[in-house]
Amino acid sequence: MRCTLSSGRTVPQGSFVEHKLSKGYQKATSILYMHPLDLMDLGIESGDRVRVTSDYGSVILTAEATEDIQTNNAYIALGPYANAITGGYTHATGMPDYKDIAVEIEPTDEPVPTVWELMEIIGGVRYGN
Amino acid sequence: MEIRDVPCPFCGCLCDDISVRLDDNRILGVENCCTLGNAKFLSKGRLQHPIMRKNGKWVEVSYEEAIDETARILSDAVRPLLYGWSGTVGEAQVVGVHLGEEIGALIDSTTSVCHNPSILAIQEVGHPGCTLGQVKNRADLVIYWGCNPIEAHPRHMSRYTTYADGYFIDNTVTDRKVIVVDIRRSEGAKVADEFIQIKPGGDYLVLSALRAMVRGRDDVVPDSVAGVKKEQLQRVASLMQKAKFGAVFFGLGITMSRGKYKNVRNAIELVSELNRKTKFTISAMRGHFNVYGFNEVLTWMAGYPFAVDFSRGIAFYNPGETTVIDLLERKEPDACLVIASDPGAHFPKSTIEHMAAIPTVQIDPCVNATTALCQVQIPVAITGIEAAGTAYRMDGVPIRMKKIIETNFPTDQEILERIVTRIREMKRDG
Repeated sequence: MRCTLSSGRTVPQGSFVEHKLSKGYQKATSILYMHPLDLMDLGIESGDRVRVTSDYGSVILTAEATEDIQTNNAYIALGPYANAITGGYTHATGMPDYKDIAVEIEPTDEPVPTVWELMEIIGGVRYGN
Repeated sequence: MEIRDVPCPFCGCLCDDISVRLDDNRILGVENCCTLGNAKFLSKGRLQHPIMRKNGKWVEVSYEEAIDETARILSDAVRPLLYGWSGTVGEAQVVGVHLGEEIGALIDSTTSVCHNPSILAIQEVGHPGCTLGQVKNRADLVIYWGCNPIEAHPRHMSRYTTYADGYFIDNTVTDRKVIVVDIRRSEGAKVADEFIQIKPGGDYLVLSALRAMVRGRDDVVPDSVAGVKKEQLQRVASLMQKAKFGAVFFGLGITMSRGKYKNVRNAIELVSELNRKTKFTISAMRGHFNVYGFNEVLTWMAGYPFAVDFSRGIAFYNPGETTVIDLLERKEPDACLVIASDPGAHFPKSTIEHMAAIPTVQIDPCVNATTALCQVQIPVAITGIEAAGTAYRMDGVPIRMKKIIETNFPTDQEILERIVTRIREMKRDG
């Protein structure tokens, strides 16, 4: 399913800002908010996982229904999950496209990665556990 | 013990009416704070020692060794990048700018990925702004465009707009109208008198339609603009023109979406248009508690508010070229110092991939996503709780941040000064 994805602040995301490696932060930033009709089209329910793919990458997220957005739109809290599918091109303004990202969404059984795992994919080294 | 009127070091609202209850140098409770500020004051868990990566493994090191290594990395670099700055005070930012000039670095702040387009627009057409006190006491119409104050600045509405008593407003609930413009029905939209739901990427069109209507040219506006009915736009244009004092607040919904700074420019020009008929102001909802402060400090010192490149020996500013994302996307930096921000969590994947590939140092109290990209991390005191200094509220009002807890951790400023001193010693010793 083709959707337009935007990212932004949510209270749960903001509350875990000092604890970015916590499960709470991971959960808060890996929820993909979609219209219930779109979930129905995909044949999934709230809590099921989806693979979201843009021109810049792909990431596994947990879908959640909300009627606050229109169909064919999706919303995600800002953070490493959103950025796994955000491109670095800025149209010569310095500002990447954190909103209005064209994405393909499909159901999946794969697990949602942790923040450390996302950092390791791009060459980082986790600290502690 | 209770300390009153503590400014909150979270968002650009910089609420300075927080009461903190302390016992034995520990915070027991916080009053008047929102959920976000509360979480910060009561946060537990931090990095206890400087850490460094040796042979692919993290090891604890002394402050001296961590500072030595940082100075060596920055001295050896041909194209160093100094990034972050919004979560610390002006006093530390000043040292950062001196450091940038000394080593010919490119210095940029989180502004680059939040309200950079707002600054570009203001540089083109000016800023009809005001302080939040003016809005609180005078505004009978408040418009939140592309921002969600309830989740991003939770006390903005209760301190300055919808729920705040105003000196010239008899009844804030009935006399103050609120319009929310957003792509989704946010929590803020649910308490608004009027909610305009725009299709993603349609802000520029809707702003242009409203400008036409304010100019009396309803005839050029089609029946529907970016998913918004003409009747609703006419209703909103009428509300705007009837207001005695209107205040527009805008957020990343228009700075990050298609059109970028042209959206903000169009919003400012709508406000200019409205000022021919009534009194209207427009302001950015700034994010980090001192993101505005870095723009002030860099402007005093280098002449430009963000994205300054000192590599030529002079301050050079060309957003789109000297902005941090473009620099990393071109894979130019060969060393990076991150302070008071977390690009690991907030930059696009391709850009942090480059940060992980070069020697990167982070100065931050907590382990965060950027930690994984670093070679060295130096923990510091938490600014606004364990360290004092000056921060600027989103409307440009400077506020003195308090130190309410004693700590053995050094401040951002102290660490930066020690790095500068060490770099000078290395230069002198050849």
